[in-house]
Amino acid sequence: MDENELIQQAPGAPPIVIPMTESAPQPVIIQQETPKRAEKSGPLPITNRPTQGGIPVILFEGVSKVYSAQPNKPALSNINLGINAGEFIFLVGHSGSGKSTFIRLINREIVASRGRLLVAGEDVIRMRNWRVPYLRRNIGCVYQDFKLLPNKTAFDNVAFALQVIGKSKHIIRTQVPEVLRLVGLEDKIHSYPDQLSGGEQQRVSIARAIVNRPPLLICDEPTGNLDPQTSLGIMRLLDRINRTGTTILVATHDREMVDSLRKRVVELENGYLVRDQDKGVYGIDA
Amino acid sequence: MRSLAYFIKEAFSNSRKNFSTTFGGIITIFLSLLVIGVFMVASLIIDQMIKSVESQVSISIYLHDDVTDMDLESFKGFLSNMPEVSTVVYISKEQSLERFKEQATTDIADQLDGNPLPALLEVSLREPDKVQSVVDQIMANDLFLSVIDRPDAPQDSIKYGKDIIEKLFSITSTIRIVCIALVILLVFVALIFINNTIRLAILARRKEIAIMKLVGASNGFIRGPFLMEGFLQAVIGAGLSIGTISMLCNYLIKNVQTILPWLPINMGQLSLWMIYLVLLGAGVVIGLFGSLWAMRRYLKV
Ligand SMILES: Nc1ncnc2c1ncn2[C@@H]1O[C@H](COP(=O)(O)OP(=O)(O)O)[C@@H](O)[C@H]1O
Ligand SMILES: [Mg+2]
Repeated sequence: MDENELIQQAPGAPPIVIPMTESAPQPVIIQQETPKRAEKSGPLPITNRPTQGGIPVILFEGVSKVYSAQPNKPALSNINLGINAGEFIFLVGHSGSGKSTFIRLINREIVASRGRLLVAGEDVIRMRNWRVPYLRRNIGCVYQDFKLLPNKTAFDNVAFALQVIGKSKHIIRTQVPEVLRLVGLEDKIHSYPDQLSGGEQQRVSIARAIVNRPPLLICDEPTGNLDPQTSLGIMRLLDRINRTGTTILVATHDREMVDSLRKRVVELENGYLVRDQDKGVYGIDA
Repeated sequence: MRSLAYFIKEAFSNSRKNFSTTFGGIITIFLSLLVIGVFMVASLIIDQMIKSVESQVSISIYLHDDVTDMDLESFKGFLSNMPEVSTVVYISKEQSLERFKEQATTDIADQLDGNPLPALLEVSLREPDKVQSVVDQIMANDLFLSVIDRPDAPQDSIKYGKDIIEKLFSITSTIRIVCIALVILLVFVALIFINNTIRLAILARRKEIAIMKLVGASNGFIRGPFLMEGFLQAVIGAGLSIGTISMLCNYLIKNVQTILPWLPINMGQLSLWMIYLVLLGAGVVIGLFGSLWAMRRYLKV
């Protein structure tokens, strides 16, 4: 099976619908004071996003997720959102607002309860189980806890991702050092995770996520364990990867980061999408 | 093909990590297959014994001295026409006496006044286990009472090796029941052992598995090493049991037959190979099933 097959189907996908208001950009209002009411009525997202062309990589249409452990409180409610190829998006919100749920729906770690969710042209809700691995080969994933194997060197950790999808030794020998150089770890290729700093470990995990050149990179709190200086380095790296054409979605509650990079910001609150803003900031409620 | 090598490599590395449980799995497979194999060999031998005893079983019908030729001929005709019967041999009074003299240890025969022994018909059967039904049919025949030696006690005029046959059959059926129960128990224990080995292997690798899922390794690729591990355990266990059984059989054939020559141990080489094949197949099924069972419970892909 060709791992690029999924992405090649993208042009056939339906046009993207981006939620937006007709009015001119308005001040952002965070509805923190009335979370209970917001939860019931479902707040309208505040957006200042102009319409954009491009190929939709991710499309949420009325997506809800209810965990069976919490049947009365949806983790995500009626999410409508389109993400175009090449975009860099910050997904912000308080702890428990549904960011991780949002991320995990995309690579089908979990399945949405309602709605339609297209990723790279594929309906991931109705997708057959056996196709999920091939979906995931098109999505790089980065997590707060790095998820590195402690008994493998940086090189072997990255190589592992290629080995298990059946790549040849030749490809591994050429691509792994290249991607480690890209993330700035050319000197630490043979170091084990416990010989690396947190920031370096996260660079290894980013290298692993992009070594197969996925068109989409999703990161769940990638700087959650790192100090501000190191975090900035990681974000710069993600920005650099984004400029090579990779679509990037970063869930974070790192205010400084969001404010300094000024990317598109999507905010969740109690499972509702409450803001979608171009060149946004983390929030004005500080 | 590259993945197959990878599966084997991973399976061996898993086994090294959990050596004691792997060893336990191999041993239980070995033992259960050994018991299955021993019972199969034993029932092969007993089957042979039954056949040899059965082939000696014949029905003797003692005849009245004054039976007419016509009655005798039509009775013989009736017997020969029964589908279960292979041969009917007439033994005259004189032949009967000869035989008795040959077998008698004392010279009692010489002191006999005349010839008290009746003539008889010896009926041998094509299907020896049908002996009872054949006897019933014979006794129901119209001519039976008019040809036999003692019409007043027809039971005493017809003899057959009823007791031996029934005893052997009851032994084999008991052995079969015990064997099946034991095999079920042992297969169950083997399954639990394999399930446990694979469970530990999965637990020891849960980080790797999580990452494999994340980067899009296919389900087959994730499962491969564990399936391979169960398979290899089974094949090794089966190999050990086959080796042991073939050694046992060689020993039996060499030694027992010289000590107990009357015991007909005559296992065809073909039947032995069939047994080995069955053991290998059973082992592989147990191994694969045990791994699949563990994966269903502990490896959600
Ligand atoms: N596996 C789960 N089972 C039940 N509830 C969950 C599960 N994961 C998350 N939740 C709930 O869903 C909501 C959103 O959680 P999450 O997506 O992890 O938020 P965030 O990543 O923004 O902190 C929370 O109320 C959380 O308790
Ligand atoms: Mg989270």
